[in-house]
Amino acid sequence: MTFFGNLFVKFSLILSLAIGLFVGAFALSSPAFAHKVIASAYADGDAIEGEIGFSNGTMAKNVVVEILDDSGTKLGEVTTDGEGIFRYQPTKAIALTFRADLGQGHVAVYRMTEDDLPQMDGISVTQETSTPASSVSSQDATSSSDTAALVMSESAIASLVQHIIKAEMAALQSDLRKAVRLETKPLRKEIAAYKEKNDLQTILGGVGYIIGLFGIGFYVVARREANKVKKVTS
Amino acid sequence: MHIIDAVLTNDVVIGGAVLTLAGLGLGLRKLDMDLIPAAGILSATFFVASLIHVPIGHSSVHLIMNGLAGLILGWAAFPALFVGLLLQAIFFAFGGITVLGVNAINIAGPAVIVGLLFRPFVIGASSAIKAAILGGVSGALAISLTTLFVGISLALSEESLIPAVKLVFLAHIPVMIIEGLLSAAAVYLIYTVKPELFDVMRQIDDTKDEMEG
Repeated sequence: MTFFGNLFVKFSLILSLAIGLFVGAFALSSPAFAHKVIASAYADGDAIEGEIGFSNGTMAKNVVVEILDDSGTKLGEVTTDGEGIFRYQPTKAIALTFRADLGQGHVAVYRMTEDDLPQMDGISVTQETSTPASSVSSQDATSSSDTAALVMSESAIASLVQHIIKAEMAALQSDLRKAVRLETKPLRKEIAAYKEKNDLQTILGGVGYIIGLFGIGFYVVARREANKVKKVTS
Repeated sequence: MHIIDAVLTNDVVIGGAVLTLAGLGLGLRKLDMDLIPAAGILSATFFVASLIHVPIGHSSVHLIMNGLAGLILGWAAFPALFVGLLLQAIFFAFGGITVLGVNAINIAGPAVIVGLLFRPFVIGASSAIKAAILGGVSGALAISLTTLFVGISLALSEESLIPAVKLVFLAHIPVMIIEGLLSAAAVYLIYTVKPELFDVMRQIDDTKDEMEG
């Protein structure tokens, strides 16, 4: 075992030296595309907005994004803008898959389930708010001189105010969404970068697994050899 | 160098898986007891070396060290490199589980080819320098074969990727040089410090031949 022990020390020495040289030689070269691709999509109003980029924060500019359904049929195609953002107007309430080929074996895939789709009734929400409001006003008009009208109109005003607030909120919603998205963008990038981080503990864990696996292999083979010897001697 | 999920067509993925299973079977049969510790070390070497990415041009490259593994282990390099790839896919989502077969062929295939081609000459080399030169050549050749294999598997799936493959090859020229030097240094070291390893390799080859003959 000492032979292989020595060899291991030598190997790791050369290896660390070589890797040091390798990293050192290119450390100053400009950062380019990282290995991993990140893609995400979210509902924005009645459309879907998504972004595609690399884990180091570079966005995929002017990339064609294919929209596929679960059977792989192509539903449409959009192109990302200068910030790697694309928009797509869904026509059917089905799960969608967004796929973009960034070249050199980089492919971004993001599947959006039906639950995450934009509410197709985004427009109908405002319609809902307008229908009761109009009915309220028509009620007001027909029963203007009635004594009960005062009570009626009071509750009507309350509901009217409520609907107006709702409508305002709906109008603000897209702005709010945009603001939140903008604010959380660095955070999302950081999370993506964090996910990419190969920390030392995981690497050591992997090396440990390898040693363990080969240890098991060694045990199995050694047992087999021992049995063979036993059979020969007996 | 590692191909990720969803890039290749099913045919290529299945083909790679079948070839890898065959390679694993052969490799495990050739994995002699004396070679197991070396296989473990080379597997760990590959695992660590290919996690260090260096950005270059439009892509990033990393060391692979499959040439050295093939030279020392021969067919047994297959299971050794496969274990490294499997753990990379599980721990770092580096490569992918479904394309594991294709990646194993792309990385372990050249290792085995280089091993079969150069191993007898390295074992029989008359001086450390000669052995080191052969080791260097096999290290560089293994990388170029890997880029070629990656290119073929990409091209089989999507023809438009061929120009990108040329770029991958060009980007890996520095890796070839560095791996060549590294393999040469490793072989030189083994030759001068622990030539017993070559004896182990030779013995295994001999006993295998006797058993087969």
